[in-house]
Amino acid sequence: MGDAWVLPALPVAGFVFLLVFSPWLPRKGDWLAIGLMAASFVLVIPIGKDVADAIDYGNFHGHARSWQWMNVPGYIEIRMGTFVDQITLVMLFCVTLIGLLVMIYSTGYMKGDRRYGWFYAIISLFVASMLTLVLADNLLLLYFAWELVGLCSMLLIGYYNDKPSAAEAAKKAFITTRIGDVGLLIGVIILFTQTHTFNIQHIIVEAEAGRIHREWLTAAAVCIFAGACGKSAQFPLHVWLPDAMEGPTPVSALIHAATMVVAGVYLVARMLPLMEVVRGMPELITGIGLATTMLAAFIGLAQRDIKRVVAYSTLNSLGLMMVALGSGAVGAAMLYLFTHAFFKALLFLSAGSVIHATERQEVDKLGGLWSKLPITAPVFVVGALAMAGLVPFSGFWAKDEIIVGIRNGHLGNFPLALILISLPITALYMTRVVLLTFFGEPKDEHAYEHAHESAPAMTAPLVLLAVLACISGFVVFEGVGKALGFHSGWLGFVYNLAEGPEKFHVNWGLAISSVVLVVAGLAGGVWLWSGEAKRAERAGAFSPLTYQLLLHRFYIDEAYQLAINYVVLAAGQAVAWFDRAVVNDAGVQGTGEATSFFGWLGKFSQTGKLPNYALAIVIGVVVIVLVAFGYRG
Amino acid sequence: MEVVNQGVPLEHFLMLSAVLFSIGVYGVLARRNAVLILMSVELMLNAVSINLVAFAVYTAPSLFVGIIFAVFVITIAAAEVGLALAVVLRVFRNRGTANVDEVASLKW
Repeated sequence: MGDAWVLPALPVAGFVFLLVFSPWLPRKGDWLAIGLMAASFVLVIPIGKDVADAIDYGNFHGHARSWQWMNVPGYIEIRMGTFVDQITLVMLFCVTLIGLLVMIYSTGYMKGDRRYGWFYAIISLFVASMLTLVLADNLLLLYFAWELVGLCSMLLIGYYNDKPSAAEAAKKAFITTRIGDVGLLIGVIILFTQTHTFNIQHIIVEAEAGRIHREWLTAAAVCIFAGACGKSAQFPLHVWLPDAMEGPTPVSALIHAATMVVAGVYLVARMLPLMEVVRGMPELITGIGLATTMLAAFIGLAQRDIKRVVAYSTLNSLGLMMVALGSGAVGAAMLYLFTHAFFKALLFLSAGSVIHATERQEVDKLGGLWSKLPITAPVFVVGALAMAGLVPFSGFWAKDEIIVGIRNGHLGNFPLALILISLPITALYMTRVVLLTFFGEPKDEHAYEHAHESAPAMTAPLVLLAVLACISGFVVFEGVGKALGFHSGWLGFVYNLAEGPEKFHVNWGLAISSVVLVVAGLAGGVWLWSGEAKRAERAGAFSPLTYQLLLHRFYIDEAYQLAINYVVLAAGQAVAWFDRAVVNDAGVQGTGEATSFFGWLGKFSQTGKLPNYALAIVIGVVVIVLVAFGYRG
Repeated sequence: MEVVNQGVPLEHFLMLSAVLFSIGVYGVLARRNAVLILMSVELMLNAVSINLVAFAVYTAPSLFVGIIFAVFVITIAAAEVGLALAVVLRVFRNRGTANVDEVASLKW
């Protein structure tokens, strides 16, 4: 476990090497990036085994190893290092596996691209930053990795940099997440000033012992959660995520499934013991998560772009994870993160396969592709069913565990009711996108004629992900968990920290009602959008206002644009005026003008007459003498 | 070194020097002829020399510092007069006057 630093080091080496040498390498060096990524993935397995063994010995609270980083003798020594526990392990597994599959898929999807080598270099750095983030044992290193993740996501979202909309989306993603990042930085600084350490475990111990001032702790928790909201696209800062699909589709898959948006979930899960100390914090986390879930579920109903629908389903899932964390169900949240990584990567990559085949991504230009794409279509359906949470796909088990977690939480029935409402809506829009894309009549003959199944490099990762999306939920069962080396099943494995191992337990009432709701959603979707989708059109025409509201994503983007126009730009103009009038005209120009004026005034003392100068010297001497004697008293 | 005159106190030398210096200052300010101004400057230098010698004899008779300084002052005064008179001479040659009021071309 102590050698976990190798995991990010390998892709970093790939990044540096590709950045310099990729033009001269065969295939621009993609084999190198993939090889290092695969090595990284393989190396997760012994770490997992170590963790499982350590848990069997009992009383395992994570394994830390650190090196001196900065030292100010007598004041502070900052160490950097790795911290491996069960949460880290889940993240490591997801990130390396999804990273590897996305890289393999990209050999087909990005084939012949102008900046193929650069793409692999940045993907390597992206994965490496995410691995550093989840391994970091202190908040400073975590913050560095956090910013690196943001940078890489911006570079990749804006990968097609000759496309204005991609450049805009990259800018939007960077600025929106930056807003949260500033919060995180402030939170980290507050915690450092209060505890004089960056070490996460030490900080948590201090917080739980009540040695941090309560107001400061509250401020720090809120700030850190703001950072998580930015990265994980939670409600007020969610606007960047749907636009982020301007990047190449493999990038979207990576961002949504493994390397970017789950960073916020990870951070909250990691800092949860600290957040639970703060009164009202679980409620805040739950509230934000609920708002995100409901918002995304409704908006997803009306979006036209296939990738955008999948993007909103990610928001939906992220909200769900936050709700689980707010209820204290870390195990359920991590289980959902684990299964979500597979089915969301699957959805994105198969959507990319559809786009690759048809060069269209609006669902009203697709249709009837089931027979044309014999691999992509079924795996997309598998992903959609897992997302909807139908039994026995992986999404069901995780979602069910979250629902039980919310039920057992102390936040009452309101969150539970909202989540149950969101279930059929999720099922509804996933059905819609499947029906409009793969069934019905083709709406664009040209695209339909030219559609063809993608190369094996792309379909092989899809099939593997589809299998994982089907079965990865079964790890909840104790037998399956034991067979895989997880002591006492998944939840005991993930969260045996303070409360002792949680057991997976089916709450039949909730499980059955969630299945019923999902099936109702699916059936409703089929009823509305099957055939010519006439019923759905009528439903849209029934309330055009609602339809417009959903289509325009509740006008939140427009509201932000207005705020930027009238508040940010006005403030900018005020600052610009201050700079021009006060700093430039008065400060810089004014100093010069005043100097030359007094110079002009002073030149009249130069009379050129010797007696005047002599008199000035004498007066000067007299004054100096008087002053000197005056001082002496 | 032997004390010059026990009967004359130090203050008398200082008064002489102050008077001489004031006359020099007055001359520098009031005269308009460059040669006379130079002479007044010499008066001021001499007043300083008297001061130096008087203090040397009355306060530290075994040291020659003040007296040596006076010798330096005399040397520098000679050099200064040589230089200044040359300047005045050139001005007179070029402008036909030694009146400092008329030599004011370095005005603003």
